[in-house]
Amino acid sequence: WRHIGFTFLTFFILFNNLIPISLQITVDLVKFIQAYFINWDKDMYDSETDTPANARTSNLNEELGQVKYIFSDKTGTLTKNEMIFKQCSISGIMYGSGNVAEFNSYELVKNLEQHETRDEIREFLTLLATCHTVVPENKVYTELPTEVAYQASSPGSPRPSKVLTLLWNALLDEFALVTAMKLLGIVFYSRTPDSVTINFRGEKEEYKILNVLEFSSDRKRMSVIIRTPRNEIKLYCKGADSVILERLAANDQHVQETGEHLENFANSGLRTLCLGYRTLTNEEYNIWSTKYREASTAINNRNELVAEVANQIECNLKLLGATGIEDKLQDQVSESLTMLHKAGIKIWVLTGDKKETAINIGYSCKLLSNQMLNLTLDEANLEDTQRQLRQHCQQFGDSLRKENPASLVIEGQTLKYALQAPCRQDFLDLAISCKTVICCRVSPKQKAEVVELVKRSVDAITLAIGDGANDVGMIQAAHVGVGIMGREGVQAACASDYTIGQFRFLTKLLFVHGVWSYRRLCKVLLYSFYKNICLYVMELWFAFHNGFSGQILFERWTIGIYNVIFTAAPPMALGLLDRSCNAATMMEYPAIYRMSQNRMDFNIKIFWTWCLNAVYHSIILYFMSSRMLRHDIVHDSGIVLGSHLYLGNLIYTYVVFVVCLKAGLESDSWTLLTHIAIWGSIASWFIFFAIYSYVWPTFPVAPEMRGMAKYVFSSPTFWFGLLLIPITALLADFIYNCVQRTFYKTLMQEVQEKEVKHQDLSDLVASRQTPVAPRATERLALLKSVFTRTRTPREVGIIDRPYHGFAFSQEENGVVPQDQLIRTYDTNVEKPPGY
Amino acid sequence: MSTPAENEADNEHQKSKKPADTAFKQQRLPAWQPIITANTALPVFLAIGLIFIPIGIVLVVTSERVLEFDLDYTDTNCMSLNVSNTTCADVLAQANYTGASCTCQKSFTLDKDFEGDVYFYYGLVNYYQNHRRYVRSRDDNQLLGKKDAVSSDCQPFQKSVNGTDITPCGAIANSKFNDSLVLSMNGNISVPLLRTGIAWSTDKAVKFKNPDNPQNWFATNPRPPNWQQDAWHLDTNLTDDNNGYQNEDFIVWMRTAAMPTFRKLYRKLSLTESTTFQNGLPKGTYVLTITYNYPVTSFSGRKQFIISTTSWMGGKNPFLGWAYITVGIICMITFVVFLVLHKTWKTDDPLAYQMRSMQMNQRTAAGYN
Repeated sequence: WRHIGFTFLTFFILFNNLIPISLQITVDLVKFIQAYFINWDKDMYDSETDTPANARTSNLNEELGQVKYIFSDKTGTLTKNEMIFKQCSISGIMYGSGNVAEFNSYELVKNLEQHETRDEIREFLTLLATCHTVVPENKVYTELPTEVAYQASSPGSPRPSKVLTLLWNALLDEFALVTAMKLLGIVFYSRTPDSVTINFRGEKEEYKILNVLEFSSDRKRMSVIIRTPRNEIKLYCKGADSVILERLAANDQHVQETGEHLENFANSGLRTLCLGYRTLTNEEYNIWSTKYREASTAINNRNELVAEVANQIECNLKLLGATGIEDKLQDQVSESLTMLHKAGIKIWVLTGDKKETAINIGYSCKLLSNQMLNLTLDEANLEDTQRQLRQHCQQFGDSLRKENPASLVIEGQTLKYALQAPCRQDFLDLAISCKTVICCRVSPKQKAEVVELVKRSVDAITLAIGDGANDVGMIQAAHVGVGIMGREGVQAACASDYTIGQFRFLTKLLFVHGVWSYRRLCKVLLYSFYKNICLYVMELWFAFHNGFSGQILFERWTIGIYNVIFTAAPPMALGLLDRSCNAATMMEYPAIYRMSQNRMDFNIKIFWTWCLNAVYHSIILYFMSSRMLRHDIVHDSGIVLGSHLYLGNLIYTYVVFVVCLKAGLESDSWTLLTHIAIWGSIASWFIFFAIYSYVWPTFPVAPEMRGMAKYVFSSPTFWFGLLLIPITALLADFIYNCVQRTFYKTLMQEVQEKEVKHQDLSDLVASRQTPVAPRATERLALLKSVFTRTRTPREVGIIDRPYHGFAFSQEENGVVPQDQLIRTYDTNVEKPPGY
Repeated sequence: MSTPAENEADNEHQKSKKPADTAFKQQRLPAWQPIITANTALPVFLAIGLIFIPIGIVLVVTSERVLEFDLDYTDTNCMSLNVSNTTCADVLAQANYTGASCTCQKSFTLDKDFEGDVYFYYGLVNYYQNHRRYVRSRDDNQLLGKKDAVSSDCQPFQKSVNGTDITPCGAIANSKFNDSLVLSMNGNISVPLLRTGIAWSTDKAVKFKNPDNPQNWFATNPRPPNWQQDAWHLDTNLTDDNNGYQNEDFIVWMRTAAMPTFRKLYRKLSLTESTTFQNGLPKGTYVLTITYNYPVTSFSGRKQFIISTTSWMGGKNPFLGWAYITVGIICMITFVVFLVLHKTWKTDDPLAYQMRSMQMNQRTAAGYN
């Protein structure tokens, strides 16, 4: 028993290196340098903000190559958080064009002078200059200014004060409008608690603000009642087209044209607003005003009462027109998203915005399109949510949990129910059947919950990208968190694994660095196992020849530094320099990404194939070598080699050759450094061996090595074996590679070949994809018909076009009511110092 | 206060955040991308085949020209001269391996002249000289001639009963092969044999050194239990430097064999001592006189006496040549198979593809004309 115990221990020690300790170090080192490659990439350097990409961890590089779900924030990530007034329609005439960066219509100015609709134009402009909550910079003007800075102003300026921070987003729309007016010469420059003053193309006009009827998501509109310098009382109202149009006086003549224009704006991804106004008589106003004051001082149901009273006055409006505001997307967002979709990545947008806003953004960055089945979920209670989810899931049928040309938009409230136990599975099934999922009005906590849910239930890598503090939760929850070094502070960046300057850099991060890191790391892992198995299994074969005594075939120090010197460089070369095609090609053909995404380079089958390959090599190496030396006489001087170490050193040399050349065989590209790694490793063994054979007895180590190099190198058998045995071992691999490359090419290999020959790749990638494309269209038609078989799209919750006539991004029920807010400011009074 | 110059320096510093545009950092190092397909690999297979087959033939011929004679004298080939009808192996067994000696003679005929240098080997089969504990059981410092206490690696042959170090210590030394093999031609002309020049020169020159005053040292220290005389008397001819640790038979034995079947160089033919043997070992009848001291039957071992010439490659070694020929043939077969595939599998051939597209272009161009 003692003997068995010792034998077991002996072999345990003998084979402990089959799972190499060096693997950990090699992998860590490779990942560490890969992370530097990410930092060094000049294509991911944002020159605007002077931020290079930054890998804050080196542990996740390979996961970047396998991402299947991206969870993205909207504001600041997809959009720039900058609104720009682009087009407007006044009395049925469209001004401005979608193509130019800013609105500046000569025509509008001209028509203001002499066109028949000049009164409407004037009202329109006045409305935009007065009906808002923007505050001009606190400054006393002595003459009419033409240049005014607004708080909540352009992004380069310092952050607004504390109160305004809360309203920062809310103001952006209005800010865009006011800024546009400024460019037209209608400068709003002063606000006092009960008035606004504007410079209307050189004339100072002061408007008394009588009432502000606040925005809310139910009302979908905002109104002000003002007294004009000409002592008229007017109600200016702006809001969603649906609410404005139903409040118009009968047979308004411009409804149709304006409607068309609205459609037009919405289709080009603009946020739209409808404007209307109404002149009030003094009596009318006084009666209403009393009611309003009562309502607003009521103790119970104040909000309802106020809304009710407001509703009474907001009627019989005259339609002025509509505006189109662009919520500016980050650079190349829609291109990037399209690429990500092509790579088979599902994109979830988690935003705090309202559904309508989110959908419009979805359309403008091409996440939603008419080539998709767009589903919405907006249910007010658990049962409805459950029912609706179940129904959708059933309608998907077989294609549930597969890739469908479908999208889902879900409301935050509904999401809350959907995440509860009875609905969770259905929601998940439905959501992962869609290419795009947009969750609106979600809290930061919900964002994290959604990510958590998907991460737990899908066997795929998830990535969250965001720029603000509200994204920290989801960035931490996802496998990979990417922070955008944005203007919203550094919390997101601090919590993330990778930071980039712009959303568009994500594509290079995934398609190039992710894929490369993944493929390289797979090779490093497989190769590290391979080289150790190849060497150490030899001890097992030798055990058959030494009575299972546990005698090692090689000298102990040569074994010890096998992973440290002789075979350390080839895996590094594989892990850092290997690339099958260049970055540009990989960016151009996102389909390549699917290979690594589906983990085709590392799975159990491949792992065991490599292990068997290693065992096969060790068999060839050991048995051919030992057979070759069986006659013991390998010198013409008749002396015998003696010593298992002679066999050991001879095999070891062959092993170093085979293992290093195997790395070369697995390399897709041989750079100069690869050559150095491979041939240098082989050379290092020869040098080491030569020196090590002379240290005894000068240094008290390795007496059994003394003279080894001399006798090994002087034997012709050794050199003939060196030519024969490594080639024999690698022959099978070589033939396998030939056959695989000739008859079972992977997409990656085909792309590589074409690239090497400088051929056009598009036909190739297309040819691989053609069978998919028509099927997608068919699938879409089929899906649509299934979903609308019994009911209309609206009933089922299918969005068939972008929303329009709704562009309020205001926060309702804000901390400070709008009415109160605008009455807090008096820009004609100097700010107290220190504020 | 920061001066404008400092600001500029700051700007410069900020600019430096932009990553450097070098081929290494941008991962654009120029690379050779070998694409191994059936077509591109064709010349490789052909080349390997064409190189390996001739090498193999040369090696096989070389090996065939080496002459080798083996004689297994473990049992029936070595009948005791003293006890009739008993093998020497049995004589040793009956004496319970307590130092009994047995002599036998075996005659054999060489059909060919063994020309040039002729080497005599003893071979052992099923002898695990590569066993881990056996290999360990020596002290290389002792063999360097140092008189320090020996290493415990030598256990259980480290110290004698009275506690002094055994010289040389360890299992390897204790089990030294001690048969003596004497060859004579036609029963009366003794074949002159060299006892030196049979070990690795490095071993003889560096690894094995006698201690000072060796005769006295070996006489006063205990010898290994299985030895019949001390290390200083391994070679009866005391004139040459072949005794003590520097005895070449001992050195050869101490270089433990790699495999359980092995041979060790025993003697070389002396070409200078006698005119009969100046060209090697002529064909004829020889008698081998064996002093059979070394028991192997207890562990099913075998003992051999081997006579061999050498080529420039060493001893007889048909394996290497045939391995070359086999691998060469495999490569040629692969070459043929891939060539056939290459001829028939036109569609995937990039060259054919290019040709086709060029023809297409020409046709369209012709159409325009």
